[in-house]
Amino acid sequence: MSLIKKILLVIGIVFIAIQFIQPAHNKSGQVLATDISKIVSIFDSVQAVLKNACYDCHSNNTNYPWYSNIQPMGWLMAKHIRQGKEALNFNAFGSYSLRRQLSKLNGIANSIKDDIMPLSSYKLMHKNAQLSTNEKTLFINWAQQSKDSLSAKN
Amino acid sequence: MKNIILSIAIAATTLAACNSNSNKSTESQNRSKDTQAKSQTDNATITTSSVADAKNTVSIKEIVSTYLQLKNALTKDNTTDAATAGTTLEAAFKNFDKTALTAAQKKTFEDVEDDAREHAEHIGKNGGNIVHQREHFEILSKDIYDLVKTFGGGQVLYKVFCPMYNNGKGAFWISEIKEIKNPYLGKAMPTCGTIKEEIK
Repeated sequence: MSLIKKILLVIGIVFIAIQFIQPAHNKSGQVLATDISKIVSIFDSVQAVLKNACYDCHSNNTNYPWYSNIQPMGWLMAKHIRQGKEALNFNAFGSYSLRRQLSKLNGIANSIKDDIMPLSSYKLMHKNAQLSTNEKTLFINWAQQSKDSLSAKN
Repeated sequence: MKNIILSIAIAATTLAACNSNSNKSTESQNRSKDTQAKSQTDNATITTSSVADAKNTVSIKEIVSTYLQLKNALTKDNTTDAATAGTTLEAAFKNFDKTALTAAQKKTFEDVEDDAREHAEHIGKNGGNIVHQREHFEILSKDIYDLVKTFGGGQVLYKVFCPMYNNGKGAFWISEIKEIKNPYLGKAMPTCGTIKEEIK
């Protein structure tokens, strides 16, 4: 066997072997009492942006594409979701201190404004996450108004 | 034969790598559970914790001086120095000895720490993106203000407000000098700002 064939064989075996290591899926289906919708009001248009552009990595429910079942794609995704939820989990928003809630709403507005979020690698695979200027303005206004009303209430 | 051994070895390493990964994720879950529980109690008590008696008992000098370094780097539009100060500030929060704090003080401190550390970390990681660093600095300044009001800054400090930043929404910062040097607008508009409060 030539060296190239040997290398291909090894790569093939490894590829098959890693398919058996599937990360646990991020899916709970429950609406928690700590969900952001219980803290601030969310209009339908905002809800659509949240669902299409944010929730895959910032909630307890990911809408998995088919290629998530192929490794190492699934691992990469699991890592993104873990980091995303650590930074901000919309389903756990109510468990944050008021200071953090205000700070997060501010950060949400800024990261959309500065095009930091959604990540460009995510937008590449998710057409719905490519927000129009209108959607961005609407979403940023929502975050800022929510911040103002939340700080006025407390 | 060689092939098989080699592929088993590679498969074993990937398995091991994957395992350590999942350990990490449970660890981080636990950590986030902890902070969640913590912040829930914070919510209930933060408004009641009295602040007057806390002054001068604990020194937050290192935190304040690192914040001021960060502020001064931003006034000079120096994103690299700002990033360095951000990382140092995160460490200052992390290394702060909370054992001398009363229960009420500890709650106030941890409430601020929870938020401020994240901002400091992001400022540290965003060297080269001064716009983003300044956005985090705005909220960080609010955190530092609350901390200084609770624990005292160890020196005379000023709360300075610039109405121009943020599309006319305005923002404040904490300064050790009376002279106005704006950290949000930097060299473009160095003198925007008025002293709103002297914190002794």
